[in-house]
Parts: sequence; C-alpha cells; structure tokens
Amino acid sequence: MSIEIQSVSKSFGAFPAVSDVSLRIETGEMVAFLGPSGSGKTTLLRIIAGLEFADAGEIHFHGDNVTGKSANERKAGFVFQSYALFNHMTIFENIAFGLRVAPRSRRLSGEKIQERVTSLLETIQLPDLANRFPSQLSGGQRQRVAFARALAVEPRVLLLDEPFGALDAKVRRELRRWLAEFHEKTHLTSLFVTHDQEEAFEVADRVVIIDKGMIQQIGTPEEIKSGAGNTFVRDFLALHI
Amino acid sequence: MASFIDFRNPPGSDRRADNAVRATAEPRWVRRTLIGIVLGFFALFLFLPLAVVFQGALAKGSGVLIQAFTDHDILHSVQMTLVVALIAVPANTAFGIAAAWAVTRYRFTGRALLMALIDLPLWVSPVIGGLIYVLLYGRRGYFGPWLSAHDIRIIFALPGMVMATTFVTFPFVARSLIPLMQAQGVEEEEAALTLGAGGFQILRRITLPKIRWGLFYGVILCNARAMGEFGAVSVVSAKISGKTNTMPLEIERLYNDYLFPQAFAVAAALALLALLTLVLKTLTEFENARQLEASRRVTLETTIEPPSAA
Repeated sequence: MSIEIQSVSKSFGAFPAVSDVSLRIETGEMVAFLGPSGSGKTTLLRIIAGLEFADAGEIHFHGDNVTGKSANERKAGFVFQSYALFNHMTIFENIAFGLRVAPRSRRLSGEKIQERVTSLLETIQLPDLANRFPSQLSGGQRQRVAFARALAVEPRVLLLDEPFGALDAKVRRELRRWLAEFHEKTHLTSLFVTHDQEEAFEVADRVVIIDKGMIQQIGTPEEIKSGAGNTFVRDFLALHI
Repeated sequence: MASFIDFRNPPGSDRRADNAVRATAEPRWVRRTLIGIVLGFFALFLFLPLAVVFQGALAKGSGVLIQAFTDHDILHSVQMTLVVALIAVPANTAFGIAAAWAVTRYRFTGRALLMALIDLPLWVSPVIGGLIYVLLYGRRGYFGPWLSAHDIRIIFALPGMVMATTFVTFPFVARSLIPLMQAQGVEEEEAALTLGAGGFQILRRITLPKIRWGLFYGVILCNARAMGEFGAVSVVSAKISGKTNTMPLEIERLYNDYLFPQAFAVAAALALLALLTLVLKTLTEFENARQLEASRRVTLETTIEPPSAA
C-alpha cells in the first residue's frame, strides 16, 4: 500500500509546523522521518494517520484520497511513543480492542478473535501475559503489545511515532532488530518518526530528513551518509557522530 | 459542608506536602497551638452542631421520630427531595461530562469564558440562582405570558425547583472531571480512534472507564448539594407543605411552627444522608488519588528520554 503526500501544510496558530511537504512512499517500504524535536515530523505522521488535519494538501493511500477521512476510517495502524495502552484492560483485551469495535458486518466471532490475539501474542513473544494489565509490564513489553494491538486490525500501513524513544538503549536495540525482521517478513508499508539517526539508518530503506516543517533531504541511508546534503543536514548529522 | 468545596485541589494533590513537614517544621509550640486551634474550631463549629441535631432528634424518644416519619407532609418533603435530586443529578452528570470533555479536549473561542462560567454557581448566592428563574419563567417574567398561555407552570412547581437545583449543583461533576481528564490526556482515545472505534464506542469503552472514580466522586458531591439545597429552591418553591416543600424547606417550616422535635428529626435524616455521602466520598478519594497518581507516573516515565546512544 503506497502513501502519497501532496503539498501538505499545517500551522498551529502562527507557527508553521509543516510547510508544503510532498512525498511518495512505495508499497512495502520502511521509511524514517528523521529530525530534531519541533521539526514537524510527528505532526506530519499524525496528519497521515488522521489524528491531525492538514490546512492544505492531500493524503492518498494507494490512490484512495483519505484527506477528509477520520482516523477510524483510514485503517492506518499507529504506535505511540508512550504506548497509549488501555490501562483498565488486560493485554488480551488491549490487542482485541480493534476487533471488538469493528462494525457488526465485519466483526470476527469470539473464537476467531481468540485465535488472532493468541497468534499475535506469539508473534511479539509474550504468549503468557494475556491476562496481565499494562501496569504490570516493562516498557519494552508494553511497546510490543502496542505493536500487536495496531497489527490486530490488519492495517493498510503502519505508523510509528518515536516507537523506541522511551526505552533504554539495550531494549531499544532488541526491539529495533525485531521490527526490522518483522518488516522483512510482512513488507507492510511502514513509516516511523525518530530523532536518533543510528535508528533511522539501521532500520529504514529510505530516510527523510525534516527540519522547520520542510523536507531537507530524502535518500537511502548510504546516500545520506555519503554527506551530500545541505548545511542543515551536515550540521545535524555531525552533531551526533 | 465546607469539606465539599475542596475539589479545586483534586483529591490526592496535596499528598506531596506530607514529605515536606520535617524540613520546614515550625517549633513544637507553634505546631501544637495551630493544631489545637484547628481542632477547637472543628469541634465548636462542625462537630457540636451535628451532635446537637441528633440529640435534638432523639430527645423526645422514638415516639416523636415515628410520628414524624409517618406524617404525610414530612414524607412528601422526603419524596420531593429525592425526586428533585433524581432529575438534577443525572442531568448535571451528563452536562458535567460534556463540559469537561469540551474544555479539556478542544481549543475554541469562549473556552476561558466557559471555564469561568462553570464556577459561577459557586460564586453567586443561591438565592440569585433561584431569582433568575423567577425573572425568566415567573408570571411576570420574560417567558411568563407564553407559559401561562400554554398552561405550563414552572415557578412554584417541580420544574422550577429542579432547574434551580441544577443551577446550584452544576459545577460539581465538571470540576471533579476537568483536572483528572487533563492529567490523563487523550492518547488512549486517539489510539482507540486509529483502531477504528467510533465516538460513542470511545466514550463507553475508554473514557468512561478511565474517569469512573472521578465521575463517581463528582456525582456524590452533586447529590449531597442537591439534597441539601435551600436558598435557590426556597425562591422558586411556593413552600406549600405537602406540595412543594423539600426536606430543607420542611425543616424551616417545622421550626417556624415551633415543632422542634420534628424539625430535628428531619434535620437528622438529612444529616445522615450527608454523612453517608461523606463516607462514599472518602472512599472514592482514595481510589481517585491512586488513579491520578498512576496516570501521572505513566506520563512521567514516558517523557524521560534516554541519553542518545551515540
């Protein structure tokens, strides 16, 4: 499922968060939005998900214009930095949520839901935690549950907002590898936001460097590392090496 | 009823102060004097009156009590109080959720004004709350001619009493929800939205379970105030015993008629309802504080970014 962003702009009051961004993400690609905090990368991701609405421009999912559609009609899986798990529900019910709220005509039977959730719990390697509550899990475990919950509804694309931002370095590396492997297997079109270039270069097929609401450079990790970009890109990358 | 107004500091918000006592403690005699004054004040102005009410109710023996609570007019006042509360409290629960939702979830023009207006009933005298409805719906009021032409009676009848009570008790649910909903944020709702849930599903499956203790707390406060309301209701009720008297109004009537044991009996019943409310409130405070703390902890945890790996 490809994603096409056409001249999208968004301001918060007088502050332009995203200015005239156009970008095409091909089916099966894993793309990273890399930039400093306040660069507009998260806002762009939220516009794609339908959690914010652009002031101008259009979003297309595989030719389907979703610009005016609400987030609950877009079928875009979203993983939040702070997990946003439902604290009053068990892990099982968290993952099953999207299946339970589906319209009656498309809703799976109880057994089918049980099957799907169980298999997702195995995918994220937490088969024994179905009846725990989110507060009883570690950060890394919670983030994996958040993945499973987003995947349960078979989203058309997967959007990840700083998915590893709140985790310690070791868990982060493990999860990063896990995500790369998962993408290798499923080729689900995925977009993730990060401020960590190591993360972007390791996981993504293409990296989009964003600053001041504008795209500064697009390229494969190799292309970007070769150092061709503008002054901002060179400064930004140098800062972290 | 002073303890009912403490929702400006949401339950649990002053827990942190406990840890500070040691470092900033005053000399012993200051502490003792202060605690002594507070306890003395409490005994004189809060505990003693309450004790006197129950003593007065029981002074003439159980015969008077039984007589009081078989009296038609008194029973009718109990019924009126319950009916008014039964309409005003659910109405304010719905309004309160809607107001808290609007104020915490949306940025819109007039938001600050709405925040201030939510508090208005606490600032103005309840008598004014009653009076505005007389000015609007009374015989010579703004809508008066139209209402009497259609034979609808609001003032000096149940609708007016419900309206006045709703006005006075409006802030309680909204005010106990706003700090809670602000602390909890909207991420869980957003997550539900991306999973395909509709607005009503999100309200029922995510928001209401998240705020249930805060909501319960607000409803209890609202109910206590609704049952005890005197000023606003006395303006819009004709104070006809057996017809439009609620318990507080009936207490005044009995007292003015020199029927002191009966007045105290009804007062004791009303105080008992308030005490029951107080017990429920204290129980929910614990639970609410625990939840608020938990949601703060989660927010705190996730905003800490680990040092860059490089």
